[in-house]
Amino acid sequence: MNYQPAFSHAPAEHEAEKASNSYLMSLMAAIVGLPLPIVNLIATFIFYLGNRRGTYFVRWHCTQALLSQASLLAMNSVGFWWTYSIIFRDEVITNHYIAYLITIFLFNLADLVATIYTAIQTRKGKHVEWWFYGDLTSLLVKR
Amino acid sequence: MKLLLQGGILIASFFAMWMGLRQLDWVSIFHVKEISTSTEEKLGEMYWNIYKKLEDEETSKSITNPIDSLLNHICKANGIDTDIIKLHIIRKDQVNAFALPDHHLVLFTDLILDCENEAELCGVMAHELAHMEKGHIMKKLVKEIGLSMLIAMTSGKGSPETIQQAVRLLSSTAFDRTLESEADRTAVDYLITANIDPEPFANFLFRMSSRDGAIPQQISWISTHPDSEERSKTIIEQIKDIAFEKKTVLDSTQWISLKENLKNE
Repeated sequence: MNYQPAFSHAPAEHEAEKASNSYLMSLMAAIVGLPLPIVNLIATFIFYLGNRRGTYFVRWHCTQALLSQASLLAMNSVGFWWTYSIIFRDEVITNHYIAYLITIFLFNLADLVATIYTAIQTRKGKHVEWWFYGDLTSLLVKR
Repeated sequence: MKLLLQGGILIASFFAMWMGLRQLDWVSIFHVKEISTSTEEKLGEMYWNIYKKLEDEETSKSITNPIDSLLNHICKANGIDTDIIKLHIIRKDQVNAFALPDHHLVLFTDLILDCENEAELCGVMAHELAHMEKGHIMKKLVKEIGLSMLIAMTSGKGSPETIQQAVRLLSSTAFDRTLESEADRTAVDYLITANIDPEPFANFLFRMSSRDGAIPQQISWISTHPDSEERSKTIIEQIKDIAFEKKTVLDSTQWISLKENLKNE
C-alpha cells in the first residue's frame, strides 16, 4: 500500500465521502454476503456504476475497490464450491483444503485491513494507492 | 511490464503460501477425523435409542445368528471391520432396510421373508453397507437437515420433533440417484469379492419394481430406492463379463429354518 499525498488535485468534501464509501460498501457487503462471495462484488459493482460519471478521484477509488473485490471473488468462489463439494458431494476434508481456506482467510484479512485503512484515509481526502491494484487502476481510469 | 510483474508476484505469493501451508498436517492439528467420528457416534446412538423405543427388535439367536454369519462373510471378504457394524432386526410387516449413522444396519423381518435366497438378502445388506462405507448417511443428513441442526442435536439442543423427523428421514426417504448408483456398484463389488452371485440381488430389485398393485408402505425399500427396474438391468450389465466362483454361505437347511423361525416367532 502506498500513501500518496501528491495526488494531482485536492478532493472536495463530497468527493472524499463518496470515494471512502466505495470501500465501506465492500466492507458492508462482506458482512452480509459472507456465505456467497459474489455479493461483495455485486455491491461494489453497483456502487461503481452509480459513480462512473463522478469526479476522477471518486472513479479512481471506486475502481480500485472493485478490482480488489474481483480478485477476492475468484479465490473465495473456489473455497465456496470446494466446501459445498465436501458437505454435499464426495469430497473429503484434506490438508490441501484446510491450507487453501487459511490462505484465502489471510488474503481476505489483508484486504480487510487495507480497505479499512484506505476508507479512513480517503475520507480525509488523502489518496492511497495499493500495490499492483493502484497501477492497474491508473491504467484503466482516464481523467 | 511492471504491472505484469506485480500481478505475477501476487499470484505466485498466493500459490506459495497455499503450498507452504499444505506441508502441515492440518487434518491432525484440527482433529478433523476425531470430530466427525464422534459426531457420527453421538448421532448413531441418539437415533438408535429413539428408534428402538418405537419398534419391536428381534433378538432371538435362531434369527440373528444366520444373518450375522452372512453379514460377517461379506465384511470379512471386503476388509470391513465387523465389530463396528451393529445389526438390528425389527419385527415389522414392511419390506424395508436402512442404515443409521455410526454403522447401525436395520433390517425388517418382512424384507428377510421376501428374499427367495440368501444371495438376495446379501445384496440388500451389501447395498446398505456401501451407503455406510461411502459416507452417504451423514451426507444425506447434512443435506436434508443441515449441519447446524445436526450439531445442535448432538449437543442435546434439538427439539424432539426435529429428532423424530430426522429418524423418519433415514428410514423412509431416498438417497439421490448418484449415491444410489454408487451404492449399487459398490454392493456388486462386495458381493463378487465375497463369492456371492449378484444376479439374485438384481432379481430382487426387478421383482419389487413389478409389484404395481402393492400398498406402497409395504414395499418401503423400493419406494425409497426408485428406478429399481433400471437398476436391476444395470447390475446385470455390470456382472455380465465378470467370472468368479459362486458359493453359498449358509447351508440350505439353515436358510429354510431361518425363514421358518421368522414366521413362527
